[in-house]
Amino acid sequence: MKVWGRILWTLLPGPRRKGGIWGSWAPHAPLVRLMSATELVSHWAAVFEEKGIPEARESSEYIVAHVLGAQTFQSLRPALWTQSLTPQQLQCVQEMSSHRLQRMPVQYILGEWDFQGLNLKMAPPVFIPRPETEELVDWVLEEEAQRPCALDAQGGPLILEIGCGSGAIALSLLSQLPQSRIIAVDKAEAAICLTHENAHRLQLQDRIRIVLLDVTLERSWAHLLPWGPVDLVVSNPPYIFHQDMEHLAPEILSYEDPAALDGGKEGMNVIIHILALASRLLKNSGSIFLEVDPRHPGLVGSWLRSQPDLHLELMAVRKDFCGRPRFMHIRKSGPQFDSPENAWPGLQLA
Amino acid sequence: MLTGLLWAAARCLWSRGATGPARRSLSYGSPPLEELFARGGPLRTFLERQAGQGQARGPELAAVARLLSEKEQELRETEGLLQDENEDLRKLAENEVTLCQKEITQLKHQIILLLVPSEETDENDLILEVTAGVGGQEAMLFTSEMFEMYRQYAAFKRWQFEPLEYVSSELGGLRHASVSIGGADAYKHMKFEGGVHRVQRIPKTEKQGRIHTSTMTVAILPQPTEINLVINPKDLRIDTKRASGAGGQHVNTTDSAVRIVHLPTGVVSECQQERSQLQNREKAMKRLRAKLYSMHLEEETSKRYNARKIQIGTKGRSEKIRTYNFPQNRVTDHRINKSLHDLETFMQGEDLLDELVQSLAEYSNYEALVEAISQKA
Repeated sequence: MKVWGRILWTLLPGPRRKGGIWGSWAPHAPLVRLMSATELVSHWAAVFEEKGIPEARESSEYIVAHVLGAQTFQSLRPALWTQSLTPQQLQCVQEMSSHRLQRMPVQYILGEWDFQGLNLKMAPPVFIPRPETEELVDWVLEEEAQRPCALDAQGGPLILEIGCGSGAIALSLLSQLPQSRIIAVDKAEAAICLTHENAHRLQLQDRIRIVLLDVTLERSWAHLLPWGPVDLVVSNPPYIFHQDMEHLAPEILSYEDPAALDGGKEGMNVIIHILALASRLLKNSGSIFLEVDPRHPGLVGSWLRSQPDLHLELMAVRKDFCGRPRFMHIRKSGPQFDSPENAWPGLQLA
Repeated sequence: MLTGLLWAAARCLWSRGATGPARRSLSYGSPPLEELFARGGPLRTFLERQAGQGQARGPELAAVARLLSEKEQELRETEGLLQDENEDLRKLAENEVTLCQKEITQLKHQIILLLVPSEETDENDLILEVTAGVGGQEAMLFTSEMFEMYRQYAAFKRWQFEPLEYVSSELGGLRHASVSIGGADAYKHMKFEGGVHRVQRIPKTEKQGRIHTSTMTVAILPQPTEINLVINPKDLRIDTKRASGAGGQHVNTTDSAVRIVHLPTGVVSECQQERSQLQNREKAMKRLRAKLYSMHLEEETSKRYNARKIQIGTKGRSEKIRTYNFPQNRVTDHRINKSLHDLETFMQGEDLLDELVQSLAEYSNYEALVEAISQKA
């Protein structure tokens, strides 16, 4: 408490100068304890605002709500709005807020976030899922619902996710497709660990195989061959154009793994590898669903036309909720690579 | 065997009684309904017409009406035998009478079910909206207590209760909240709660001990099914804080609030209950659909309910329906002039609230019945 107090003391010259409640904090500590949740939210919102922290009020609300055990300030019981916080809770809010002053993303500060109705653990530097990606999952679910039910002996689809990060896409698909099985790959150890942890948190570990793999390496697809041909490939690959990287907010640049964001000169470096690999691993008429930059549907479309050997066809492009072309559905139309379908051993998950 | 018959007779007699304790049974048995079946009353005339040439209201009603008059004839004849000298015959007649009365009760119940139109929306889920009215902080505190009462009532009825929006006041009161409620007959029960609720008490904030009167409003919107209401996605504008800039991986914002505007009507629905934007959108959509659906229903229901004491829909929303008088420890529903005591228990949202809801349903059935028979058959 004392340590944080000293840090905050130096961090908060603004409100202190103005003779706000923090001005009397050190000599009259009990006064602070009388602060209610609403007052605390306003206080920190003002501090963040003054320090130029983006989403000042939202950040402050999320932190206070989290410490009081709610997801959002709006869902907090009204009785808790006016109640004063305990010294421990107050200390928690102070610690978290000081992280926010360092531009740490709120999701990392809380150590959790929600995606598609699932509560997921978040830890730096693993990529934080964006709201657009919830729509990518929705699209996959829509397409799955339309597919004829009789698939193979095991019933549900076998899905490959490339770049699983926190496991958001894979785990939300698993939770909503009870028959499905998923192979989730990522090249970052931290991501593999977090996906593992989240799978266990949600008790979905039995239907997921998590593999450390860099799909940009030569013949990386061969490592996935033993798992058999897949019905579907889904990915939110790094797609930011390299020259855009320096314009990203400090929250992203200083905390998230750049490898999960930087897609190279035209943002296509990883996308190209995914398409080549998917072409080898997909069953005939299997689908690829990708989240991309709004400039990508055109670029990827023409690239695919220049690679007829991949037997991949752009089926549809969908806009995100802000109207930007964001998602691509690509389908494999040709024969399977290398070997006939019956030569593939079915995937047996432990 | 004999005790069984006696019980049946007792139940039958009890249900025929014009006075008696308020009971849980729906529609049949409440005093006004009994009066309707009185000889020479309007319902009788109506039924006789049905049984005779009629069939205007459907062959089923005519058949039941005929059966009823036959049974009543049978009852009158059997009752004559109750004075017979032969004891065995008398016993036999007693049994017959009991059986007859039981069947008559059932037939009357059937007639009510046939005559009271069930609403298109009775089976639907609903959205409950509570809003503080006049009375400042005290009104907001009362709104918060009412919200709690309905939350407990939903638990008591084993319904789902999912808050969609919650706007608190700084002092722990509630300005406005909206909740999705789902479960067996949820709308059928809750639809009578819509209207202005008035509280009379000494507010916690009042220093001089004066009694204040404050109000809050309840609105009950039936939740449309996919078939009830189809919205063209092109008619919607979805506003989020991510609309400007590149979006996607380029930004990491946490504001997940969603606002949906239905362009043709200008109806707006917002939600910021969840951290997931998708869930906020689903909840906002739920509310928007309910709002649009109740607008759509407004026209026909207002026609149908115009003459009734128990109003449903927006027309009933401005009506003062109930008073919660704390000094007298009573709650009074002005539509049926019924008072219940023990406010604290009432506000727990269990048996007492349920009893009042049932009384309202019975009265509403009575009104519907009167309306049905006054229409030219």
